[in-house]
Amino acid sequence: MTAVGTALVARKPAWSWLSTLGRLVLAAVWIAAGLSKITDLDASVRAVRAYRLLPELAAQMAGAGLPVVELVLGVLLLVGAGVRACAVVSALLMVVYMAGIASAWIRGLQIDCGCFGGGGALAAGVRPTYGLELTRDAGLLVVALLLARWPVGPFSVDGMLAGRREENGR
Amino acid sequence: MMSKKTGRNTRSVVTARRGPSLTAIIGIVVVLLFAGVVGFGVYRTQHQSNSGAVPVNATASGVLVGQASAPASIDIYLDFQCPVCRAYEQQSGATIDGFIASGAAKVLYHPLAFLDQSSTTKYSTRASSASGCAAQSGAEVFAKYVKLLYANQPPEGGDGLPESQLISLGQQAGAGGDFAKCVTDNTFAGWTAALTDAASKAGINATPTVEVNGKQIDNTDEALRQAVQAAK
Repeated sequence: MTAVGTALVARKPAWSWLSTLGRLVLAAVWIAAGLSKITDLDASVRAVRAYRLLPELAAQMAGAGLPVVELVLGVLLLVGAGVRACAVVSALLMVVYMAGIASAWIRGLQIDCGCFGGGGALAAGVRPTYGLELTRDAGLLVVALLLARWPVGPFSVDGMLAGRREENGR
Repeated sequence: MMSKKTGRNTRSVVTARRGPSLTAIIGIVVVLLFAGVVGFGVYRTQHQSNSGAVPVNATASGVLVGQASAPASIDIYLDFQCPVCRAYEQQSGATIDGFIASGAAKVLYHPLAFLDQSSTTKYSTRASSASGCAAQSGAEVFAKYVKLLYANQPPEGGDGLPESQLISLGQQAGAGGDFAKCVTDNTFAGWTAALTDAASKAGINATPTVEVNGKQIDNTDEALRQAVQAAK
């Protein structure tokens, strides 16, 4: 039974489908987030600046680099390549994003998180939605962590490669 | 039942116990880092290719309208696609005109492109660049053009105004010379990008933002009047 404890596949086949579902949810979120920002990298850099956390060069790197990272991460998860590594990176990114949003909340900034494009200060009278954003990211963090624990589900490049390796090994 | 289940488990465990190899993990991390570098590279390249062309009668920080000697200096950060900016113009446009006419204040307009994503044609950039073209015919023409652009502001999420209308409104404001070509060529798109970046770096992340003698004020007519009075 100790072997089962380290298994990458969930015990019951039905649960391995949950791994695929979680992977696709995470993939969809990353692809949507990446696409919404990649068409205007300037806006993305401005959204990072609005947090007033990073020095200029770091804000440019994060603002212009992350949309592309998110998009590639989403595509890798969609096809199921390197799922465990992608899930761990996703979880780390979620922690960083949550820290940023929480810090904006604590400092009383009135900004749009810029999670899916946009960003910058909110118009007068518009209330920030930090609580909602943190809850959403916390949910995605849980999905990413579960996926890191059980990365193998049906319909993945990883699964196909593993199957082939096993066949060759016989 | 029990033994059957165990058997299946053992099999899947054998398949699955081989986790991702270290090479695979390093590969993924390298791919993601490369993606980030590509994004950063694209951003930097875009910024280097911004031409340094600045409209006549304008500076790298905007277009000044009014007498340079006026005691109060108003900075208006605006976006032609921004409905609140239009509302601000409707609210305080006449007040500002009065200050300019009496010499109580001068206005430095910063036409930014924060809302390029709010139209399908990067209208914010096109309109700002066109306003730079109008400034070439004089600060008064620019000021009239600002009002006309607000009066004809396209809805958010649409296609923005077509070039033909940007041109005809400019001609209505009194823009001459090669105004039409300047608009068509988007000549001052680089100027717009530089203005936008400078404002963002200065901590401006909303439009309209109004400052009087460098100090941000509320977007009310009363706040504007008080601040200009105080600057006398």
